[in-house]
Amino acid sequence: MINAHRLVVFVSVCALSLAAVELTPEQRKLNADSFEYAWATIQKYMWEPMPAGVDWQKIHDELKPKVEAAKSTDEARSVMRQMISRLKMTHFGIVPGDVYERLDAAKPSLGDGRAGFELRIVEGQATVVSVDPDSPAYAAGVRPGWRILRAAGADIAELITKLRSVFSDTTIKDMLITRAVASKLGGNPGTSVAVEFLNGADQRVKLDIPLIPPRGAEAKFGFLPTQHVWYESKTVGQTGYIAFNMFLDPGRISTAFGDSVQSCTSCDGIVIDLRGNPGGLGAMSMGMAGWFINKSGVQLGVMKMKSDTLKFTVFPRSNAFTGPLAILVDGLTASTSEIFTEGLKDLGRARVFGSTTAGAALPSVFEKLPNGDGFQYAIANYISAGGKPLEGIGVTPDEKIELTRIALLAGHNPALDAALAWIKSQSKATKETSKP
Amino acid sequence: MRFNKYLLLLAAFIAAPLTRAADEQELPKAGTLMDRYIEVTGGTALYEKRQSEIATMEMEVVGRGVKGTITRYSDRSNNSYSTGQIEGIGKLEEGVYNGQAWEISAMMGPRLKEGIENADAVRDAMFNSALNWRKLYKAETVGLEKVDGEDCYKLTLTPLGQGKPQSMFLSKKTGLMTKISRTAVTAMGEIAVEVTATEYKPYDGILTPSKLVQSVMGNQIALTVQSIKTNEDIPTQRFEPPAEIKKMMAK
Repeated sequence: MINAHRLVVFVSVCALSLAAVELTPEQRKLNADSFEYAWATIQKYMWEPMPAGVDWQKIHDELKPKVEAAKSTDEARSVMRQMISRLKMTHFGIVPGDVYERLDAAKPSLGDGRAGFELRIVEGQATVVSVDPDSPAYAAGVRPGWRILRAAGADIAELITKLRSVFSDTTIKDMLITRAVASKLGGNPGTSVAVEFLNGADQRVKLDIPLIPPRGAEAKFGFLPTQHVWYESKTVGQTGYIAFNMFLDPGRISTAFGDSVQSCTSCDGIVIDLRGNPGGLGAMSMGMAGWFINKSGVQLGVMKMKSDTLKFTVFPRSNAFTGPLAILVDGLTASTSEIFTEGLKDLGRARVFGSTTAGAALPSVFEKLPNGDGFQYAIANYISAGGKPLEGIGVTPDEKIELTRIALLAGHNPALDAALAWIKSQSKATKETSKP
Repeated sequence: MRFNKYLLLLAAFIAAPLTRAADEQELPKAGTLMDRYIEVTGGTALYEKRQSEIATMEMEVVGRGVKGTITRYSDRSNNSYSTGQIEGIGKLEEGVYNGQAWEISAMMGPRLKEGIENADAVRDAMFNSALNWRKLYKAETVGLEKVDGEDCYKLTLTPLGQGKPQSMFLSKKTGLMTKISRTAVTAMGEIAVEVTATEYKPYDGILTPSKLVQSVMGNQIALTVQSIKTNEDIPTQRFEPPAEIKKMMAK
C-alpha cells in the first residue's frame, strides 16, 4: 500500500506521457496480453461478483477489441484504465512502464532528506502545520501557518490546481496533493531546497532550507522500500499523547506503544495522533487495539476476500487502559490507521477528532504487466465493526475540525486542543459522578 | 502434518486447490495407506525410538521478500514450543503446554487459543502424531487425485475430538504424503490452507519432507528444513510459556 501511494504520487507529479509511436505486432500482442492479465487478475481476486454493478465479462468483451486496435501503448493503457475505472475503487491502476521502471532509480536521486516541517493543504493552499524545533527551518524562522508559494522552482498553487482537477472526485486527493507538494521539498540530506513562503505577516520570504536526515529508524518489510519509522510519546498535563508515522516495525513500535499505555495508567485519558499516518501492517491494529479493549471476542472489522473473510479480532490485554481515548486524524490518515480508528470508534471506545481520512483501506499489490506497465490491484475489501466500508469514504470524525491558517499562526493545534478539552470534560464528569 | 499458524498472519491472497474426480476403482483402506506411510518413512520401531525433536526451518513468503527462521521443540510430553524471528515483524512464539495452546508476539500481544483452534494445536503437538493417528482421527479413503502430476490417494481425516476434517494426499507410488488441505480455525476466522510436502530426506532414519509450501490466502509460504535434531535432552522449562501467558492461564 505504501509503495502504491508513492507510485501514484510519482505519476501525478511527473505527468509523463509517451509520444504516440507506431506499434510493432509484438508490442500489440504485449498490450493485449497485459489487458488480459489485468482483467483476469481482477476477476480472480475481486471479492464482489459485480462491483459497482459492472458486468466484468461484458467489459472485457467491449474493451478487448479496443486494446487490440490501439495504435500506441498510450492508447492501450488508456483502454486498460477505462476498464479499471469502471470498478470505481481506489488501489487499482496502471502505471506507465517507464515510470514504473524509473521509480526505484528515481527515489535515491530524490533523496530521503526532509525540510524539517510538516505541510498540509489548508484552505486550498500548501501550509506549514508544524516545524521540528531542532531543524534549520525553525532556526530560519519558519513557523506553522506559513504558506508555501514556490519550492524547487515549482509554482505550488499551480501544481495544486492541476492536481485538484485530476483528483477532484477521490477521497485520497488531500494525500496525493500533499505528497506531490512534499516531493518538491525533497532531496538528499545536506543539500538544500529553495522555498518561497508567505509568512505570518503576509510577506514573501525566500529561504534556502537545508535538508536534514529523515526522522526515525529504518524499517524494512519484504520488498517494500525502506521506510523511516518514528515513535513519540509524552504527557500533556495529565493526558497521555502517542504519535507514530507508520504501522511498521512491530518489534519496536508495538512494544513502545504498549509501554506508553502501561506507563499511563493514572492518565485522565490518552490521545493517539494518527494524522499523516498512512498505515502499514494491518495486524498491528489488532494488537494495539487490545490495549484499550478489555473483553474478548471483539472485532475492529472484517476484510473480505474472494473466498475467505479475515476478522480483525482484538486481542485484549489484561491491563487495558479503560479511560477516555481520543484519536486524531486527517486526510493523510489511511489504511491500517483507518482500520484502527473506525474500529475503535464503531466499538464506542474512541472519539475521533480532525478531518475526514483518506478512505484508502484496501490491501493491494503491484505487478509488472507483459508490456512493462505497472499494475496495481486490490485483493480484499474492508468493512468496519459498524458495517461501514472504508474505501472511498474514510473515517468521519466525531468532531470535525478543519485547520485554519489563523489558528496555526496563533500557535493552536485545533484537533489536539479539542481532544484534550474532551478528555478533561470526561475526567471532570467522572469525578463529579463519583462524589458522595 | 504440522504447520506454523503464525504464518497465516502474513497471508494476503486466496488459493484454490485443484482437484480431479476420483477414479472409478476400489480404493485401499485408509488404515492401510496410513500404515504404509509409517513404513515407507522409516517404520514403527524408528518412530518409537524418537523421544524428542528440535527442528529448525527457514521461512519465506515467496515473492514478497519476507524471510525468517523458526525453531520448534517437541517431545513425548506432547508439549511444544516454537520461536520465530521474521524480518520486519520480529519475534513470534507459540506453544502447547499441558493441553493449552498459546501464542505471543510484539504485533498481536499474548493470547490463549480456544475451542477448535486450541484442539487443533494440541493435536498438532502430539509427538509422533503420524504413528498415533488412530488416537487422533477417523480416516477414510475418498478418492484418487493428482498432486503435481502424481497419482495420490485422497484421505479424509476427521478429528475424533473438536475440529474440522482435513484432506491428506498420499502418493500411490511411494506412499509418501504429498499434500494436506485443511481449514485452519483461527481467532481471525476460518482460513483454507494447503500444504505441499516435497524433497523428503532421512533425519535419523525417518524420511521427512524438507520442504513444505503453504498456500494460504494467495500467499505461498515456503518452509525449508535446516536441521532436525532428535533425542536431544530438552529441559521441561523449554515448554513453559512466557510469564504473560502463564498469568493468563492462571486466571
